[in-house]
Amino acid sequence: MIIQMAFRYLTGRKLRTVLTTLAVVFGVLIVFGMNILIPSLLQAFQANVLAASGLVDITVTSVTGEAFPAELVNQVSGIDGISAWAPSLDREINLPADFYDGNSAVADRISAIALVGIDPQAAPTVRVYHIHSGRFLEAGDTSAAVISQSMADALGVQPGQSFALPTINGVVHLQVAGILPLQPRLLPGNEEVLVTLPQAQQMTGLQGKINIIDLNMSTTDEARRRSIQQAVEGAVGPQYHVGVLPAGSDVLASVKLAQAAFTMLGFLALFMGGFIIFNTFRTIVAERRHDIGMLRAVGASRRTIVALILVEGLLQGVIGTVLGLLLGYLLGAGVLQLVGPTMTQFVHVQVGGPLVSPGLLLTTILLGVGVTVLSGLIPAVQASRVTPLEALRPPVAEIEYGWKSRAGFIAGMVLIALALLAIISQQLSLVLLGGLCLLVGLVLVAPALVWPLSSIFSRLITLLYARDGVAQLAEGNLTRQPTRSAITASATMIGLALIVAGGAMIASLLGTVTDITRKSLGSDYVFVPPSIGLWASDIGSAPEFADHLRAVEGVADVSTLRFASTQVKGQPISLLGIDPVTFPRVSGLQFQQGDEFAYRALAQERALIVNGAFLAATGSKMGDTVALATPDGARTYRIAAVGADILNVKVTTAYVSQANLKADFGKQEDVFIQLNLRPGADSPAAEQKIRALTAGYPQFKLIAGRTYIQDLLQQTTAAFVGLFIMLIFLALPSLIAMLNTLAIGVIERTREIGMLRAVGATRRQISRLVVAEALLLAALGTAFGLLAGLYLGYVMVSGLGTIFPMAYSFPVAGMLAAIAVGLIFGVLAAIIPARQAARLEVVQALRYE
Amino acid sequence: MSLVQTQNLTKIYGKGETAVTALNRINVQVAAAEFVAIMGPSGCGKSTLLYLIGGLDRPTDGRVIIDGQALEGLADQGLTELRRRKIGFVFQFFNLIPVLTAVENAALPLTLDGVPIKEARIRATEWLQRVGLGDRLRSRPDQLSGGQQQRVAIARALVAEPALVLADEPTGNLDTRASDEVAGLLRQVANTWGRAVVMVTHDPRIAAYADRIIFLKDGTMVDESRLTPATAETTAMWPGR
Repeated sequence: MIIQMAFRYLTGRKLRTVLTTLAVVFGVLIVFGMNILIPSLLQAFQANVLAASGLVDITVTSVTGEAFPAELVNQVSGIDGISAWAPSLDREINLPADFYDGNSAVADRISAIALVGIDPQAAPTVRVYHIHSGRFLEAGDTSAAVISQSMADALGVQPGQSFALPTINGVVHLQVAGILPLQPRLLPGNEEVLVTLPQAQQMTGLQGKINIIDLNMSTTDEARRRSIQQAVEGAVGPQYHVGVLPAGSDVLASVKLAQAAFTMLGFLALFMGGFIIFNTFRTIVAERRHDIGMLRAVGASRRTIVALILVEGLLQGVIGTVLGLLLGYLLGAGVLQLVGPTMTQFVHVQVGGPLVSPGLLLTTILLGVGVTVLSGLIPAVQASRVTPLEALRPPVAEIEYGWKSRAGFIAGMVLIALALLAIISQQLSLVLLGGLCLLVGLVLVAPALVWPLSSIFSRLITLLYARDGVAQLAEGNLTRQPTRSAITASATMIGLALIVAGGAMIASLLGTVTDITRKSLGSDYVFVPPSIGLWASDIGSAPEFADHLRAVEGVADVSTLRFASTQVKGQPISLLGIDPVTFPRVSGLQFQQGDEFAYRALAQERALIVNGAFLAATGSKMGDTVALATPDGARTYRIAAVGADILNVKVTTAYVSQANLKADFGKQEDVFIQLNLRPGADSPAAEQKIRALTAGYPQFKLIAGRTYIQDLLQQTTAAFVGLFIMLIFLALPSLIAMLNTLAIGVIERTREIGMLRAVGATRRQISRLVVAEALLLAALGTAFGLLAGLYLGYVMVSGLGTIFPMAYSFPVAGMLAAIAVGLIFGVLAAIIPARQAARLEVVQALRYE
Repeated sequence: MSLVQTQNLTKIYGKGETAVTALNRINVQVAAAEFVAIMGPSGCGKSTLLYLIGGLDRPTDGRVIIDGQALEGLADQGLTELRRRKIGFVFQFFNLIPVLTAVENAALPLTLDGVPIKEARIRATEWLQRVGLGDRLRSRPDQLSGGQQQRVAIARALVAEPALVLADEPTGNLDTRASDEVAGLLRQVANTWGRAVVMVTHDPRIAAYADRIIFLKDGTMVDESRLTPATAETTAMWPGR
């Protein structure tokens, strides 16, 4: 019976039911959609790493991720219990988009390869290689490779034919010796190319080096296996990692950060949904006092009344959650479809379908239904307090004169004051807490501010829009229900605060990024590898290439970046080798602490220039000495300055001299090159020669510096615009909130509207009344939103500043966008209720109860 | 000439088998400054007749002529303007806007008509003083008694100086004393201020304040009686006369 009644009440007010349910749908959509989307991205990254580890018992790698001397095999092969061992040199090589088909507009089917140098005798003892046509590699093979069937198909090659690969010494042609069947553990597009170990060492410039030792054990007994693993650990020492390949990369970390951010946004969306539902149920209870009184009069218990309201909430929660799950799945799948190709092209990661875990499904359902039912709880309890006498009183719309909760107002003011104090303190943790205080504080004081604020705004609206007393009536309509207006404004506030805060962050980021970009990429020419920032997977060039470039007439300076990975205090660090003399001439870092003198320190000692992310990750500060893990053990470096360039702002990075990089890490492969011409040089002639030289190194794309800056800034701006649009999308629930409140207001005041029409208000005036009310409501929400957004923006910028220091830019664009969105939402929200109100038939409206 | 004239006024709700005839060929005339009461049992069509005269609803057949103007020729906008300038309404549940003060409520028809707020308030204040509420100008509806609220409604009905006031059960929600005050006030509206008043009521005592009573039953006019002061005095107090 209760369910039947709840159902009929819901269907009796279709618009309101739809709007309230939409609020739930939206929150669930965001939480679910984002949480199925991001794990599949994560999985794609992890699969890339895991694909390499295969099924061996133990892998030995350097903690730095760098190559190490091949002799290490001898230290582990003799350990008791090790039955098989195989050294290899694995190197992921990203390929330019036009490498095989010559068309850079379309990504090749093969976007990256895993070059694996193996010992043809040892490798089959730890892994199984089913050659299904041709033969396996043999010791002494030169320029021979075993490739997978899918790669052979993509390139259209058979055993005996050859294919090209970029190496540090230019393009090398390899002859296909044999073909492996399709292997499920490999991701399509990310192909394995097996060559002999010496071949791989030559192609990557790592003579005598390997980076993985695969070991198999002779026992399946767990205790024995553990002791063998310990023996291996003891033999290789602490600078080696023993176990499966570690999956923690910087990319993984930033994707996880993104997931946390999206989940937070989803929660905010649900929070707004909660406001909307709470408002609706309060109104339902007020509207039905008569019915509820009657039910109580004919014998319904308080519990029955609570159950009636909660069942309504439950029904809406369930329907909204189911719809939200469906739409969220579509959103996740759709975004993956959209970003999949881009990810493959730029980051060289293959993305699968959305991942739905039972845990996520359960959490989302609990959240969606839970928020709805919880939001209905207070109104339900209020409903149960309605006495049977209410049934006998004439039905009138509930009115609050003034705000009821003085305590709430005082508490809110205290919280706002705390938030302001937090800002003054400049302590990040306090500022973060202050953000929360401010939001809650504003929600609490909002009811008291409804009257003064709406009275100011109504004057404005009277001036601009409605001179016939309509604005005054609208103001009255809002202030008669300050709590409801305040709750609606609070939902709007959260939505718009996100826009303003996002705007602040984007403005600050964009300003800083533009500065750094111009500084670090100001050279005449840039040689760009396929993947910027993920240096480990780019194949660079031997030092000879840069030397050849230097020899070109008209070239003044050539500066290169070299890469090695390392660890400091267990944190993975991307180490970039620069030439302390030429680097500042061609490029340059933006210093946050210290100055250009740091380059001299780099040349004279083991010194580092680190970025903000490095300080945050390792907990170190300028002047500290830190231990860098190298293939030969730890080396102590001093932090000489803090600075960053545009390419490495997001990644924990330290800069060292190329001399030190070679001495401690044995790396001298150039992964990124910048070049300046002499003033007055014959640039067409020089460019022609440079292009001719670069043709032998197709892994680099030669771009004129200024074009590159433009491209990069354009991409950054596009990404930020995308982010901004997403924030506006997140503000959508505030539209629903306003629409809901206005629709409720129209229903509630039907008789008043009838009277107004009877005493001479035109349909236009009635419709204008609702629009004015909507504008007032939007103005309230926007005012709160701007306040909260400015604060949150500051919080975000200073929070992010620990990783990426930037100057706070006042979010003019964000504020304008928020005002525009607020006003547009206001007008949009008014359309349906205004039409409804204007179309009311006078007689029916007058008879409405 | 009559201020209000209905010719064969008919209103049918619904269609086919479910059609209900609310009014059947009603012919009524109301002169300027005349006070007419419409009586009859519940559902006899009293309020429907009032709404049709007021242009709030449209007849199925027949016509309504107010001050020489036939309503069937007016579009929604025209009807709205007619209501605003020529007709004042008084309802059973007062229908005041709860968030506006007495003077703001009374001024509503003028502000809606674009009269500057200041002037509208002056005129509303005059009317509130005339109905005896000069000391309650700034009170909100919830601070006024039922009778006082209805007097605000009467001031609102008169503020635009209409020729006709339509009252739908104006005492239906009031106690005896307040009912008499309101009925007396309506009598005064006709006598002193020269407006025609058409009032629907089912209370014979209140109807006795009128000049003439029209009796409806099942949508048709069954009787009509003109009250003389003598007959009226036998049925009720008649303070306004």
